[in-house]
Amino acid sequence: MRSSFFGFNVAVTGLYTAQRNLDVINNNISNVNTPGYSRQQTVQQALRPMNLYDGTGMIGTGVEVTAVKRVRDEYLDTMYWSENVTFGEWDTKRTLLSELEATFNEPSNSGFTQIMDEFFSSLQELSKDPSSEAVRALVKERGVTLAKYFNDMATRFEELQVDINDRIETTVERINSIGVQIQQLNKQIYTVELDGSTANELRDQRTLLIDELSKLINIEVNEVAVGKLPSGRDDVRMTITISGKAFIDHFNLSKLALVQRENKLNEEDVPNLFDIKWEDGNSLKITGGVLRGYLDVRDGNSGLNGSPVYKGIPDYIRKLNQFVQTFAMAFNEGYIDLDNDGVIDPVKNPAEDGKGHVDGYGIGSAADLGIRFFTMLGTENKSISSSDFIGGASDPAAISARYSNITAKNFAVSSDILDNINLIATSDTKDQVGNINNLRELMKLRNNDQMFVEGAPEDFMKSIVTTLGVSSQQAVRISANQEVIVKQVENRRLSESGVSLDEEVANMVKHQQAYSAAAQMINTMAEIYDILINRVGV
Amino acid sequence: MRVTNNMLINNMISNIGKNMSRMETYQKRLATGKKISVPSDDPIVAARALKLRTDVSQIEQYKRNVDDALSWLEITESALNNIGEILQRIRELAVQASNSTMTDDDTEKTAEEVAQLKDQLILISNSTYAGRYIFSGFKTDTKLINDDGTFAITVEDTESIIYEVGVSDSININVLGGQLFNNGGEAVTGNKAYLIDIMDQFVAALKSGDKSAISNSEGDSIIDKIDNQMNNLLAIRASVGARYNRLELTADRLDTNRLNFTKLMSENEDVDQAENIMLLKNEENIYRASLAGGSRIIQTSLVDFLR
Repeated sequence: MRSSFFGFNVAVTGLYTAQRNLDVINNNISNVNTPGYSRQQTVQQALRPMNLYDGTGMIGTGVEVTAVKRVRDEYLDTMYWSENVTFGEWDTKRTLLSELEATFNEPSNSGFTQIMDEFFSSLQELSKDPSSEAVRALVKERGVTLAKYFNDMATRFEELQVDINDRIETTVERINSIGVQIQQLNKQIYTVELDGSTANELRDQRTLLIDELSKLINIEVNEVAVGKLPSGRDDVRMTITISGKAFIDHFNLSKLALVQRENKLNEEDVPNLFDIKWEDGNSLKITGGVLRGYLDVRDGNSGLNGSPVYKGIPDYIRKLNQFVQTFAMAFNEGYIDLDNDGVIDPVKNPAEDGKGHVDGYGIGSAADLGIRFFTMLGTENKSISSSDFIGGASDPAAISARYSNITAKNFAVSSDILDNINLIATSDTKDQVGNINNLRELMKLRNNDQMFVEGAPEDFMKSIVTTLGVSSQQAVRISANQEVIVKQVENRRLSESGVSLDEEVANMVKHQQAYSAAAQMINTMAEIYDILINRVGV
Repeated sequence: MRVTNNMLINNMISNIGKNMSRMETYQKRLATGKKISVPSDDPIVAARALKLRTDVSQIEQYKRNVDDALSWLEITESALNNIGEILQRIRELAVQASNSTMTDDDTEKTAEEVAQLKDQLILISNSTYAGRYIFSGFKTDTKLINDDGTFAITVEDTESIIYEVGVSDSININVLGGQLFNNGGEAVTGNKAYLIDIMDQFVAALKSGDKSAISNSEGDSIIDKIDNQMNNLLAIRASVGARYNRLELTADRLDTNRLNFTKLMSENEDVDQAENIMLLKNEENIYRASLAGGSRIIQTSLVDFLR
């Protein structure tokens, strides 16, 4: 015996199911361009059939939608995150190094080589006319240009360091803000899913946030079952760890904090840079992501003093400092560390004390030995005199030690020369205006390939520029490769979870027709009942 | 593999982006004419570019030095030429004075001429190049010989002015006053210049009528001394001529080097524009094609066919 209106009920479940399906398709189509959205699918199944007890077996009772699930391959998410962290790191380095390259401005007609060329050209001109005030003034100005070039470079590097420091601050704030949002989403997802359903949209939002987080810092994401819920499902909790310590543990968040350094990491650093720590004061090891890129470029000093093993800004400043110290010492004193043992020791190696600016005389009444061409900026950014600079040091070891006070930032032409261009020491004998024996010794320094381990002054600077070029090229290549990999994983995710309009529209037609058919079924049933009720036995 | 609309769009955007960046590369090369603009474009080319720039700039400086040295030597050469003529004239006068019987009037005129020549010699000894005394050694701001024929300064043998005309290649460009005017010796302040002294001796001999002092067979006569000085002058002129020659060769070599290095520089960093334009055109075509393809992908979906 069947119930009278059984047919209606079956048709109605068909209508409802078709509608539900269309709802999901509608939602998919609406979200086709929503970032991070994963397409949803209904899970529909036939209703429990009725037993007929008359030997005919069972009869179907219609259809129902049991769940709406999102289509997502979480393995691809994990893969995306692990590739994105490398991309974040190298893409950052690429950007920063290209800024460094712009600072060096090589090869060009206004970079270091040009300035060095012009300085030595002015010496050459002076050698041809050592008595000319005009040429002496030219030498002074070219010397000032050379010094200013290094001041300018050092200042720009420091500005970049401060700039990166600011960016680190912003990035850490962003990480914390993402942390707070994920923490909130964890609560919502956990609550929603207590009854066994899946929080599709919320999970999509959380994945999108983790996508962003994975670019910023190295993270490891886990969802682990810690027990069973009353409903029988696993009690799944989510953790995000950074280098082994939990950043987010279910509902708990440990934020990152910025601490101003009391002591500089590198002596070349600007003061008060930030260290990144956990809010509870524990130290944090950052091994990847945008933050790592920032830290490497801001602090990298080839691993000296515990700095990152990367050639970052301090490394370039240190090399510029080394250049101006060595160059100034060779030019002023004629000291060249020939055996590279770090000290000037003319007793052991007399050739280490060659002729320099101090060994010559200028012209005019004030001309005397012992004038340094280059010194450094003192208070109020005024360049100091030779005697103040050398501070009474008399033996080579003590004098050469004074040069460690010079940095690229404070490199300057001495006040003696600035005040009196006639003190430029061209002559090796007093009162001989045409004597250029000392100047010739100075000019020879340009091609002195023993001044630096790398060779002559220009070779040293060339090696800095080449090193930077190679580093930058490496960053460009790695970030380009990594970008391809990230894009590929992203494509695989889109392939899995993205909305295909064709597919949705095809399904739409399918369910639309199922709906029409079910409606038609109701018509048919209505006709049957019309016959039964209105015509039979009347 | 399942392909979704956003995949198509993402891929299209990324590919068009890559095309754009390649076009940008070629366009930058077209505009700047250089293969590289930052060292990371090609560190090796960058390093060589730096080296070659230095080389070219040094060569240009050496070329300027050579030109200045040549001018200095030209001035010297013309001074030496004048001195030669003066010596020649004095020798003629000495020969005349020793051969013929001279009236008092003749002697007077000859003495007068010698005095004139002496003044001229002093003037020449104080020749300048760009305001610097060329025979004064390192004391280029001081005259060599006073009007009375004594040296105004001491010029030692070591006071050679040296110009750099190459890496560790230098040339002495001055003639020392002592060597020229003091019979190859050094000039000493207050002492009378030897050349002037000969002229004074000649005038004295003229006035005293001592012909044997002017000419004799013992080799110590005025004429002999003038001959010696002419030989000395010739030797100096030969040396100046040789230096001038060497500088001209150096100038030639520097010109060739400059050409070679400029060529190397160009080969190293300049763009082959013909090739570059071809590549740019090619990229443009690819870019157009990708845009055209993209517009089709974006336009069409199943929706367009459901009516």
